[in-house]
Amino acid sequence: MKEKIALIAKYVFMLICSLIALFPIVWVIMSSFKTNSEILSNALGFPSSLSLSGYKTALGLAPILRFFLNSVIVSSIATVCNVFILSMSAYVFARMRFRFKNTVFIILSLSMVVPITALLQPVYSIINKLGLDDTRAGLIIVYTAINMPLSLFILRSSFSSIPRSLEEAATIDGAGFFRTFIQVMMPCAKGGIASACVLTFLNSWNEFIFVLLLTKSIKIRTLPLALNYFTSQFSFNYTAMFAAITMAVLPSIIVFVIFQEQVVSSITTGAVKE
Amino acid sequence: MKVQKRWIFIFLAPTAILFLLIYTIPLLMTFYTSLFDYRLYPKRFNFIGIANYIDLFTQNKAFTHGFINTVVWILMQCSLHVGLGIILALVLYKKPFGWKFVRASYMIPNIISNATIAMIFLNIFNPSFGVLNSVLKTVGFEEMTRNWLFENKTAFMSVSCIWILFAGYTTTLILAEALSIDMSVIEAAKIDGVTNFQMDLLVVLPLLRRIIATTIIMGASYMLQMFDLIYIATKGGPGTTTTNLPLLLYSVSTSENNYGYANAIGVVIIVLGFLVMLAINGIFKTNDMDY
Repeated sequence: MKEKIALIAKYVFMLICSLIALFPIVWVIMSSFKTNSEILSNALGFPSSLSLSGYKTALGLAPILRFFLNSVIVSSIATVCNVFILSMSAYVFARMRFRFKNTVFIILSLSMVVPITALLQPVYSIINKLGLDDTRAGLIIVYTAINMPLSLFILRSSFSSIPRSLEEAATIDGAGFFRTFIQVMMPCAKGGIASACVLTFLNSWNEFIFVLLLTKSIKIRTLPLALNYFTSQFSFNYTAMFAAITMAVLPSIIVFVIFQEQVVSSITTGAVKE
Repeated sequence: MKVQKRWIFIFLAPTAILFLLIYTIPLLMTFYTSLFDYRLYPKRFNFIGIANYIDLFTQNKAFTHGFINTVVWILMQCSLHVGLGIILALVLYKKPFGWKFVRASYMIPNIISNATIAMIFLNIFNPSFGVLNSVLKTVGFEEMTRNWLFENKTAFMSVSCIWILFAGYTTTLILAEALSIDMSVIEAAKIDGVTNFQMDLLVVLPLLRRIIATTIIMGASYMLQMFDLIYIATKGGPGTTTTNLPLLLYSVSTSENNYGYANAIGVVIIVLGFLVMLAINGIFKTNDMDY
């Protein structure tokens, strides 16, 4: 009897956890098909028809696709830059011997404990001084940098775990330093590279405070800012607002569902390396 | 050998430049300019010693409120949020029916952007068509309905709900560690005749100590830097009831253009973060070995 109650309690708890996570999103999607008056009169009910008019209005009111495209461009370039640049330094830290190696690595690790939000104003000044305010390049530099510590740790341990004999074989075959790195080491570290890519992309895609601070124009701003921009546009068109939220979350959810295992393993690698 | 040295330099240079540009120089600037009356309009840059700090800690009520809120939220995240993650991970690691579905669905709020989560909750707590008030009306608690995010009494708790409940990330991390526990340890405990509950509490939980410490550090650093959820949901209001240090830093530097003062808040964030990490490491003694 006691075991039965424990079993039921366990499943009820699991159900509640799933529900609090899924219900808000399902409610938003459902509301995006309702009319304004349905939303106001019957918040919990099902929509009377599957009208897409909210989506049409939302796309007409604000350039969601523009924001989406900006997110894709900025996040992808930042991810490629971050992972390539940090693969190079991680490889050197994992494999080479040089003076002050540990000191340099410890100093770089300090970026892990510095809360980047505290450095808001100076980072803004520097990006301004470089003439990169309100540009994609400015955002890309910042995103490449704020994902630095995580990628460095993941990639270093990934390069360290490759057997040394592979490199030696490449050197005997006459491959130079750069070729060994690109053609032998990078492919062998692809597990770590994939994890670093997933985490950097995810962080850049969802980043908010630096887009808010460093950009002004719609041409540059990314998806997280799109909804903020919407609050005033949609003040009384609730259907369009719910449609806009749906369009902002669905791509992430679909990608997550497809690559679930990869995302979970990336997150786990990222945390263990800290 | 010379050739290799050159390559080492080339390979390290981009990382070093990025580090200098976005971490080292800003860090030095934050500490240095926090000692100045530093503004852009009207242009000013005068050394004033620790006057910014004195003003923060003795004159500024919003700062006091933001500081307390930040600390309370860190404590709540480290206890309630991580606690929720631990319990769910302990339920899921025995792989009951549907465990993967629960893990995945609980992760979703952590995968989508905070900006959208905040927008969703702005609607859930909406006084006229929000889910919460609608449910209360349907079950007959009409008098309990209120404007959750914008009334003094409920704003803090309502905003906290937006992140405290969603421990998907934490659950996933602890669960991964729990799934990798050596089965022989668990078998041995079973032979010794421990109950399921004792097993979780006395055998499994201590083995998860290190990953729990990691999730607590991550939770603390998340709350130390929390900005987007609060900014979209309440902008720190009503008054200063839901403000925190990053929000204050942002508003002082953007709307007041008072850079020296903003950077003094930055220094407080850095020092607070450092103390919190020391405390967590001290409590968990993360350097101990298990076997």
